[in-house]
Amino acid sequence: MLQFLKFAAIRAFLAILTLVLVSFIVFSLMELVPGDCAERYVAFKNSQGSIITPADIQVERVRLGLDKPYVQRWGKWIINAFQGEFGDSCILRLNISQLLGQKFWLSLGLCLSALLLAYAIAIPVGIMAATSKNAVLNNSLRLVSYLGLALPNFLLALMIMLFSTIYFGDSLTGLFSKEFRDAAWSWARVRDFLGHAWLPVFILGWSATAFAIQTVRALMSDEIGKLYVTAAAARGVSGRNLLMRYPARHALSPIINSLGFDLNRIFNELPIVALILTLTEAGSLLIDALATSNDQQLAGAIIFMLTAAIVAINFVTDIILALTDPRVRSGIMG
Amino acid sequence: MTDTTTNTETTLSAKDRKLKEAYFTASQGQLIWQRFKRNKSALFGGWVLIILIFSGIFAPFLTPYDPTISGRNEAYLNGAPQIPSFCDDNGCSLRPFIYGFERTRSIKTNFRWVTTVKTDLESRLYVQFFTKGVEYTYLKFNINLPGDTLDFTIPGLTFDTHLFGVDDGFIHIFGTDSTGKDIYSRTLTAINTSLAVGTIGVFIAFVMALVIGGVAGYYGGMLDSVLQMITDTIKTIPSIPLFMALAAFIPAEWSAEARFLFISMVLGLIGWPTLARRIRTHLLTERGQEYVLAAQLSGASPAHIIRKHLLPSFTSYIIVDLVISFPYMVLSETALSFIGLGLKDPVNSLGVMLQNVTSTDVLLNYQWYFIPVFFFIALVLAFVFVGDGLRDAADPYGSNH
Repeated sequence: MLQFLKFAAIRAFLAILTLVLVSFIVFSLMELVPGDCAERYVAFKNSQGSIITPADIQVERVRLGLDKPYVQRWGKWIINAFQGEFGDSCILRLNISQLLGQKFWLSLGLCLSALLLAYAIAIPVGIMAATSKNAVLNNSLRLVSYLGLALPNFLLALMIMLFSTIYFGDSLTGLFSKEFRDAAWSWARVRDFLGHAWLPVFILGWSATAFAIQTVRALMSDEIGKLYVTAAAARGVSGRNLLMRYPARHALSPIINSLGFDLNRIFNELPIVALILTLTEAGSLLIDALATSNDQQLAGAIIFMLTAAIVAINFVTDIILALTDPRVRSGIMG
Repeated sequence: MTDTTTNTETTLSAKDRKLKEAYFTASQGQLIWQRFKRNKSALFGGWVLIILIFSGIFAPFLTPYDPTISGRNEAYLNGAPQIPSFCDDNGCSLRPFIYGFERTRSIKTNFRWVTTVKTDLESRLYVQFFTKGVEYTYLKFNINLPGDTLDFTIPGLTFDTHLFGVDDGFIHIFGTDSTGKDIYSRTLTAINTSLAVGTIGVFIAFVMALVIGGVAGYYGGMLDSVLQMITDTIKTIPSIPLFMALAAFIPAEWSAEARFLFISMVLGLIGWPTLARRIRTHLLTERGQEYVLAAQLSGASPAHIIRKHLLPSFTSYIIVDLVISFPYMVLSETALSFIGLGLKDPVNSLGVMLQNVTSTDVLLNYQWYFIPVFFFIALVLAFVFVGDGLRDAADPYGSNH
């Protein structure tokens, strides 16, 4: 037990260290952009009609703490970031945490559902493909997984939009119907949301599913050929019982291990899919922040939070692996 | 009777021996090629890839018009594809033809320009081959160093022959976009751009991966741990949002060419961690192998070991990894350009071409905007098939010997 706690503590420490490194990269990116917050505030005031001198900019800098050294400001940023506080956006002049708030959790929910969907499809299909000798099934699965790579999600979204516009006259965009967009959460709103959310979830999960099928199939066909499976079959275990008790359990660990990277893949697709499907409630905030207004504070906060979600998933999967996989467990316990 | 059997047996075994000898004396490249050839889908992908690469390189010759705004057809905006045909109601011709069209605007059309296709015999436009058209140049270098004396230009070779065209008017086999640019010309040029971006990106990623992975793998220990930590951290950050953040730095006043270079570099700067990790792992495992120890005991210098033993042991892996990472570069560039943070207009790439297709107007009325997508899918799939085929072929422990 003590060893396990030690393991968990080391993992947690490494996760936090990763986040600190990430925050350094993100913060440096924010700083590299020409022009700082003070200049922007002042430029805004200028556009409102007041007359601005360089001294005003300096005063503003001191007020925002921009005159402090780089490392000190980074330290402040990271301490605030760990408390979920990212300060104000210079351009929108709004608190970032409030701005992101629900939108971030909604996006994360969409991505996690996509991940869930990917494995809900991939595990049975992958096992089937690994055990079946059916050439047609195997070849068509191979084709699907190749398309998962070659037809990136945003192209898939475009294609679905093209066909649904031609045949149904509805482009299937948005996350809510008009009447529910600003309404409070209610049962009807949840139903409306689910009616809209299936498409982004499907599209986000598309390439992850294709990859996951390949992974599951490869792992299963590796494990099936091993001697312990033959031994179990010789003892008279057969059929689904054999598959589930022996090779599937072994193949599960690498899959749990790769969840973090799958989430990473889904996050990569999120902003673009959000742009195409006009999911203003999720994801497309990042594009707004970067493409239209060049808002580094907002973009930095989003990238940091996305990475934090991946690091958190990696930490959780490490712990789950240590609990479920005897090979990992014995590794920890010495 | 017995004589003949022994005879055939000896010839067979001689043939066998020859085959075996050929197998054991074959170089690694020959072995890989032998295994690669047996993989039909990879071979097919290879052919598609070669065709696409050539059509990208020879795009100016294969396409009738300049893909930029100067080659536009002002009279045919958002025009439908004109498919050359041999026969219609007015009879057949040996030379393929397309129909002419007429643009009119009157009170009847509510003063909007309306294009009508004229199907009569007189307005047929016959497709001509090897027509003269806009000039294009190959092998032109222009190095502009500070100071006039250091400027240095190779004029290159200028041509003006195009594979096909029509005498008066324009031919648009894939249609035109909203400014009248020929989509066919743009598509082939876009393949060229995507390949160029991918090549630069892969090259930068490769150099960085080789240095970082090589240092980590060769020295090991503490340095390795630190480098691994950094590599893993960069791998954890979702790359497309990071691309977006980096691409947002590009000042608006930069030229399209400078943008192109910067985007390719950014792709390379973010793409290295996976490759670096593989190189490092490979170096770490190979370093402890018996053949390295044997070479060391025979008195070989480290330089000799690296050059003659370590490098050949994984060049094939590196080549395979480079081919596999290529489509990711192309995909990332497309995604970036698609959202308007990547390449910009005078430079043609698939992402640039797809920028406007999400509008309902295009989805409903101008579906030929989607034609480049199929070329793009073919390009990515071809790379994936070839990459997979090479990976299987380069793996000496693979199942298909």
